[in-house]
Amino acid sequence: MSSPEVVVTPPAEGTPEAPWHRLDRRMLLIRPVLDLVRSLPVLLGALLVGRGEPWQWIGLVFTAIAVFTGVSHVLTSRYRITETQVEWHTGLLLRKQRAVPRDRIRTVDVTSEPKHRLFSLAAARIGTGRHSGGKGPGKDELVLDAVTIAEAQRLRTLLLRRKAATPSEEASPPPEQLVAAVDKKWLRYAPFTLSGIAVVGAAVGTVYHFAHELHFDPIQFSLVQTVVGHFADTPTWVSLVLAAAGLLVLVSLLSIGGYVLSFWNFRLTREPAGTLHIRRGLITTRSVSIEEDRLRGVEIREPLPLRLAGGARCVAIAGGLREGKGADKSGGLLLPPAPLAKAHEVVAEVLGEDPVATPLTPHPRRALYRRLSRAVVSVLLLAAALYGLAWLGALPDWPWQVALVLVPVAALVGWDRYRGLGHAFTGRYLVTRSGSLDRGTAAVRCDGMTGIVVERSYFQRRAGLVTIIAPVAAGKGHYRVLDVGEADGLALADRAVPGLLTPFLTDQRDRG
Amino acid sequence: MAPRLRPPAHQVSRRAIGYWAATAALLWIVLIGVQTVIVVTSDDPPAFLDVTLVISCVLAPLHLIVMPRWRYRVHRWEVTGEAVYTQAGWLKQEWRIAPVSRIQTVDIERDPFEQLFGLAKITVTTASAAGPLRIAGLAHGRALELADELTKTTQAVRGDAT
Repeated sequence: MSSPEVVVTPPAEGTPEAPWHRLDRRMLLIRPVLDLVRSLPVLLGALLVGRGEPWQWIGLVFTAIAVFTGVSHVLTSRYRITETQVEWHTGLLLRKQRAVPRDRIRTVDVTSEPKHRLFSLAAARIGTGRHSGGKGPGKDELVLDAVTIAEAQRLRTLLLRRKAATPSEEASPPPEQLVAAVDKKWLRYAPFTLSGIAVVGAAVGTVYHFAHELHFDPIQFSLVQTVVGHFADTPTWVSLVLAAAGLLVLVSLLSIGGYVLSFWNFRLTREPAGTLHIRRGLITTRSVSIEEDRLRGVEIREPLPLRLAGGARCVAIAGGLREGKGADKSGGLLLPPAPLAKAHEVVAEVLGEDPVATPLTPHPRRALYRRLSRAVVSVLLLAAALYGLAWLGALPDWPWQVALVLVPVAALVGWDRYRGLGHAFTGRYLVTRSGSLDRGTAAVRCDGMTGIVVERSYFQRRAGLVTIIAPVAAGKGHYRVLDVGEADGLALADRAVPGLLTPFLTDQRDRG
Repeated sequence: MAPRLRPPAHQVSRRAIGYWAATAALLWIVLIGVQTVIVVTSDDPPAFLDVTLVISCVLAPLHLIVMPRWRYRVHRWEVTGEAVYTQAGWLKQEWRIAPVSRIQTVDIERDPFEQLFGLAKITVTTASAAGPLRIAGLAHGRALELADELTKTTQAVRGDAT
């Protein structure tokens, strides 16, 4: 179609008139098939379950929608790279536009799944280092699902070129400075982590599962029968106490085993270049490096049993660490369960100061009523529900009686939660503490906050309280100052991120 | 003197009331429709359906009258040179402030109904997992302007914003 006389020079990449690119059309051959396969369960399920019913074809509708969405995604998606940003448009019915500033781009991952390899395609994921919010892949990063491998490589060099300048010379390993190493005496904290419970639970589950699969009733097993028979003679409370004691010993032993397995050879060192290095583990060794300029703070965690024993763990709040994903869960662990004083020492060493040790401002009395009412009311509701079920004859009487007995315990926990509440501002760090069963004291670096969120529920409003949330691009993603007095909380937020809140604040003296 | 957050300066487009009412109405129509069909066509409809049908028929108009107007009053936004500020929430109120220097992406989204009403919603994300700032029910033109303005000011502030 193009006439040879008119030579159109395509506008260069990275200029305001950068050309639009589309996804590779060959994906049209793969994507519908994949969507079809993916919706097979729905399709077949509806067909089989709804045999003879008019709605049995509903699966077909879903499949059609899935295939249509996939096809329209490939057909309508287009992207371009201008001087300053990557623009991406997609969607036919639900139209989406996204613009990612180029200097926010931290990663370009090129992955080639089997579906891509068929036509030597690849998926390019353009990531801004944003912490995953757990809302599916497309939400956090810009995914160009079908580009040629060459195009993906071109994108990578084009988008990351700016950052390629940093030299990575590792001539001689610089001397490391030891911050903390595991101590045999810390083993006494292991039982208080209760980590053995998970193992016992898993073991019981597995055994039960297999016994069930093999139609094997453990009660018929002679050893079990002897034990059960023995207990049948003793009073119930004795057997309960014995069982509890046995379980406690078992859990303790397993917890100690777990501690040894995961924390043996634990060493926290610091390299002069500003990198924290963590090595640990007996059989599987883990090694994690945290750049100190990615460190946004530190959290000391004291779950109730550990706290009663005077122990604590210490966790780094750092960007780029994957949290909450299987083995990576404790990637930022700076100190395994150890004496509280040691935890503070590590914090002081890592941050250069110990903001966690600053005396915290307690929260207003009204927060106590909220903690108490929340704890007690939830248990009462549970008791009421259980009573209702017992009344209907679906459950025996004892569950709701147990729930009622738990009320004072709940009140105690509520009171302890209130006692734990506190916040402080130390100049560089915002410190907040909350929780009882899983108490955590977090010190978040103020310049790491990506804004401020203020939350107020109906009941908080009546009590004149708010929750201040400090979003950070690291660790849990946000740290909350729970149930703080409204004026206190806003003042705290205003000091933590200077100038951000100021234009939106008013003095309410006139309103009284 | 007790400082307080003042509400953000701007409200969303008035057309958003219609949009919210329309989407909610669709939901109610489906809900009431399904119940009616079962009650009318089934030989032996369960007794509770009559009750829920009446309740739905009472709740639907109330919801359709109150919700969109209330939401319109509650949802407010403001963009200054330094920050984006949003307010939302009915029983649980929420104010979000993000400095422009921390903005990572600005998305505009329009579902078919929003296209019909000439509306769009803007999602401004930062590097944190605490959630993005959302402004729903903006006039489409206004949303485009705003996104443009935001990406421009974001550009002015360098860094990877974490």
